[in-house]
Amino acid sequence: VNDKAYGGSSAPEAPVHENPEWEKARQALASISKSQNSTKTSPTNRTTSQAGQYQTAVTDSSAMQQQQQQQQYYPWYPQNQQQYPGYAYPYYNYYPITTFVDVECLCYGVPGAYPPPTTPTGQPPAMPMMEEQSSSYSSEPQPPPPAVPQPPPQSPTSSDQPPPPPPPPIPPPPNAQYPPPPSQNPYNPNGALPYSPTDSNPMRGYNHGQPRPSYQGYQPPGYPPPPQQGPGQGPYGGAGRGDGNKKPNNANMNKGGQQLWNRMKQAPGAGGVKFNIQKRPYVMANQNFPPGEQPPGLATSTAATAATSAATTSTAGAAQAGPQDWPQAMKEYVQRCFAACETEEDKDRTEKVLKDILQSRLQDGSAFTIDWTREPLPDVKPRQSRWEAVPQRSQENASGRGGATRGRGGARLGNYRNVFSQRSPSSSSSRSSSRSPSPHSRHRDRSRHRRSDSGSQSDSSISSDLRPISRRQQRGGRGRGEERDRGRGGERGRGRGGKANRGRRNMDDPGSGIGKKRKGGNAGLDFHDPNREAKKQSRAARFHTKRTEPLVLNINAFDLPNGTQEGLSWEDCPIVGTCQDITKNYLRLTCAPDPSTVRPVPVLKKSLTAVKAHWKTNQDYQYACEQMKSIRQDLTVQGVRTDFTVEVYETHARIALEKGDHEEFNQCQTQLKALYKDCPSSNVGEFTAYRLLYYIFTKNSGDLTTELVYLTPELREDECVSHALALRAAWALGNFHRFFQLYKRAPRMAAYLIDKFVERERKLALGAIFKTFRPSVPVEYVQSSLAFPCLDTCLAFLTGLGVAFTPSDPSKIDCKASSACLTTS
Amino acid sequence: ETHLKIHYILPREEQVLEAIDTRDGVFCAELLSFKHPHVANPRLQLSSPEDKCQQVLEPPYDEMVAAHLRCTYAVANHDFVEAYKSFQAHKEENWYVSLFKQKCILAEQCFKSAEQQLQKKGKGKVGDMLEKAAEQLMSCFRVCASDNRAGIDDSKKWGMLFLINQLFKIYFKINKLHLCKPLIRAIDSSNLKDDYSMAQRVTYKYYVGRKAMFDSNFKLAEEYLSFSFQHSHRSCQRNKRLILIYLLPVKMLLGHMPTTQLLKKYDLMQFTDVTKAVSEGNLLLLNEALAKHETFFIRCGIFLILEKLKIITYRNLFKKVYLLLKTHQLPLDAFLVALKMMQVEEVDIDEVQCILANLIYMGHIKGYISHQHQKLVVSKQNPFPPLSSVS
Repeated sequence: VNDKAYGGSSAPEAPVHENPEWEKARQALASISKSQNSTKTSPTNRTTSQAGQYQTAVTDSSAMQQQQQQQQYYPWYPQNQQQYPGYAYPYYNYYPITTFVDVECLCYGVPGAYPPPTTPTGQPPAMPMMEEQSSSYSSEPQPPPPAVPQPPPQSPTSSDQPPPPPPPPIPPPPNAQYPPPPSQNPYNPNGALPYSPTDSNPMRGYNHGQPRPSYQGYQPPGYPPPPQQGPGQGPYGGAGRGDGNKKPNNANMNKGGQQLWNRMKQAPGAGGVKFNIQKRPYVMANQNFPPGEQPPGLATSTAATAATSAATTSTAGAAQAGPQDWPQAMKEYVQRCFAACETEEDKDRTEKVLKDILQSRLQDGSAFTIDWTREPLPDVKPRQSRWEAVPQRSQENASGRGGATRGRGGARLGNYRNVFSQRSPSSSSSRSSSRSPSPHSRHRDRSRHRRSDSGSQSDSSISSDLRPISRRQQRGGRGRGEERDRGRGGERGRGRGGKANRGRRNMDDPGSGIGKKRKGGNAGLDFHDPNREAKKQSRAARFHTKRTEPLVLNINAFDLPNGTQEGLSWEDCPIVGTCQDITKNYLRLTCAPDPSTVRPVPVLKKSLTAVKAHWKTNQDYQYACEQMKSIRQDLTVQGVRTDFTVEVYETHARIALEKGDHEEFNQCQTQLKALYKDCPSSNVGEFTAYRLLYYIFTKNSGDLTTELVYLTPELREDECVSHALALRAAWALGNFHRFFQLYKRAPRMAAYLIDKFVERERKLALGAIFKTFRPSVPVEYVQSSLAFPCLDTCLAFLTGLGVAFTPSDPSKIDCKASSACLTTS
Repeated sequence: ETHLKIHYILPREEQVLEAIDTRDGVFCAELLSFKHPHVANPRLQLSSPEDKCQQVLEPPYDEMVAAHLRCTYAVANHDFVEAYKSFQAHKEENWYVSLFKQKCILAEQCFKSAEQQLQKKGKGKVGDMLEKAAEQLMSCFRVCASDNRAGIDDSKKWGMLFLINQLFKIYFKINKLHLCKPLIRAIDSSNLKDDYSMAQRVTYKYYVGRKAMFDSNFKLAEEYLSFSFQHSHRSCQRNKRLILIYLLPVKMLLGHMPTTQLLKKYDLMQFTDVTKAVSEGNLLLLNEALAKHETFFIRCGIFLILEKLKIITYRNLFKKVYLLLKTHQLPLDAFLVALKMMQVEEVDIDEVQCILANLIYMGHIKGYISHQHQKLVVSKQNPFPPLSSVS
């Protein structure tokens, strides 16, 4: 029944659906089915027998395809859950290539997968078979293997396959890198067992579907080439190669497999690379492999085919159960996974991962027991990061993954949705299948209460929902423009632009999509919507769509910028230097400091003394600055915040001030401000005054006000501070006389700072003077009022401005004539 | 136990749902506000509310509510930093403007609390958190401002002014007034600027007026702040008082002295002495008044503005001298005497000239100084033009 449903859906779809998305989906399905088939076949005879097996299997080709498709969906998911063991084995066991694939898959999809050990070689295989047959994998997983292999057509292969032998050879290389090899054995068994049993079972299923024949056709060709290609195809081709399934040609599969394979080969080396490769292959496969071509491809790509077959076989094991039997929740899970894909790559990866997951899940029967609704989507992107860099969120991977998956996975998976949406018909068929009294049905129910309960209703709602959504997504992902038309869509599109949330949003699309609809509807409608009930219902239906992944707030993973900074604070991980050099050149740190190049405080004290002495005698600012900076750096690195630190910064600030080095001076000021909180120094007033003066210089009345707020009465009494305050008051009122009187009396190094804006203030004052005095004003008055050190400098300044002196008396300024020069200058 | 919890959430969620369904953003916002009683419900203070929310709400909202609940939890545990994180998650989700507003307000409160907490721990720089908050708001603002497709009625642009006001609030707090400029420009160029709700406009003008004041653009400041003051709801005494704190100095600088009644009504008696001193030209009293309430004025950020009233006070003082002497040629010594009477320290004739120069320069006195004769020669007509006509 299931097969029929699938077949019906899939078969019809294949022809009907020209959408690229569709194609992908189909291909994915096909690949799955193929993989499954292949697995089945492979189990029967890893290599040689495969063809035969396949053929046999092929008989059901149509059914097989269907099944495969179904299976594919499921298998992928389950695989994730089950973890690696399951995956690798089924696919890879038979074909060496498969191992590669598995490895990749493992790497990417399931870190945890590695555990392959869990599925001891023999047992797992058996398990699948049993399960499938029994309907509940869990119960008899192991037994199946025997059954599987035995099945006449495939049995030979299956038996062979189950045995680790084939896999081991192939796996070794790839495996070496990854744990997979061990798992292979388990897998093989699984795969083999599953296959054979599945075959028998699947056969039924297939028969139903009828597709089998086609399936066989596919597989056979593919199988010959077996090993290496197989694996590649399995994961990649399988998924991508949905074409094969859809198109029904094994050849497609094979070709895809081959091509994929090549890519795969690269991939095996590096996870990231592989993925990229996969992508292309995927596309290639679709495009390149018209049905006709497929056959040739098969021939050429014997190896590849073999590999694919292996993969298929492995999946087949799972497939055996028959798509029909897959829990609805699992199917939905698959849909969700694809729905979360944004790019082709994502889809490919997802496909791969899903295969593994579903397969393993199906094999061990957990597919029927776990709660698919809670199953995290495969984390596709993270893999890359893994390889390239340490996973940022290892935790996520380990446990929930939720966060990462959501964010990244979601984004990636986006496009897939489309596929699914288009597919929706198929999904509906699957629904029916689920309803069918398959043995597994109970499990499904368990796994997904709601959906199973609601049965057709919920499903239908889902499917219907999905379609629009998928469309939207496509648009959203590709072109926002369309979305915009829909009103909210625009928003979403934008939103996606962004970050992790994007992914989630995509996922949400279904829901939101509904929301949109509603909105749209509402726009026209009134608030007093007569359709309230209907709304409620739709709302209820919506809930079934839920988010694709479990909701995990970003907050968890979110790192407060502050937090991180603090986390990295030098004080948290102090080191103590051992360097004894008095002088040290400044180098900006780009990595963790090496204690051997860091000077401890006692040495630094000597250094400071030396720098001071050097400065006094040589006035070599460049040298002093560099030395001071290196001292500061050493202090920072060691988390030293003491009076000595204050002294260093004060010293550097003074030197910088003297030389007019704004940048360093401000850096020191900033540090000092913070340091003074912990280590009050007798110079607090001095540097507070400098800060005030600096604000005057920058005319920053806001900061000035803020600074005033924090001035304690004691501080106001400080010589420097009171001077700065008086200066500020004079400056604020334009009282240049007082201002310059204060300038002349500037304590400590305040004059250096005031120098920065003295000229500005002089000009302002001159403006007032020229406007006020008539007919003239003596230069002496200007000189004394504006605090020029001597008459000459004053004259130089005035002439520089183009001031006009009275013709009769050069010691007087013609104010009227001069006022113009200020405005112009 | 879990079921229990869910049950507790459920009624609330139902309400939220209802609100979402009817697009009742205001109500929804209320439900998700921190003022709502549910916040105190320990059963809703879940450390990981995701599951429950996911089960009850549809996607865009479940996260929002989950974040909200998480936040509730964090606040209940006095972990404001955590709460702050929760809010960051909130940001992206809310597109219902009113919901949005609620969230922004909450966010800001949280940011403040978070900052306070951080400061207590001695970590973080002042304003760090607020800056983060501003970033979040900014991103929301960009979304709103770029909403060009929606019809004018349900455009997100209606959220702009609110966001801008929130941003102003933060920018003023962290002394980043220069960041206000683009926002002001955005509103100035908006065709909706006069159609926003009066409440928003009042707030907006309040901040822009304050900014103008700090930029020494007193005329503009007076205009905006006056608008704000006049259009505040009469029940918003506190707001009106806040506005007055800035409007008063501006008005005084422009020559409009507040009545005692006004100051009384709004409990701004700190200004009484200032007002009196300025209008009397009593420099001494002004200095005393400023010193007396310095803390208040500084905290309000108007100390530096009030200081400028000294110039007005000089003007009024010197006008008195002029009126006393009844001549147009005023010896500078007379002003020196006057200043010394006001106990100005270390004042000398040069400073008198300086002060007079400034007054003349700014237009408060029409006349000139003869340095040679040490006299101020004032115009025979209207030597002390009214303040409102100056500057």
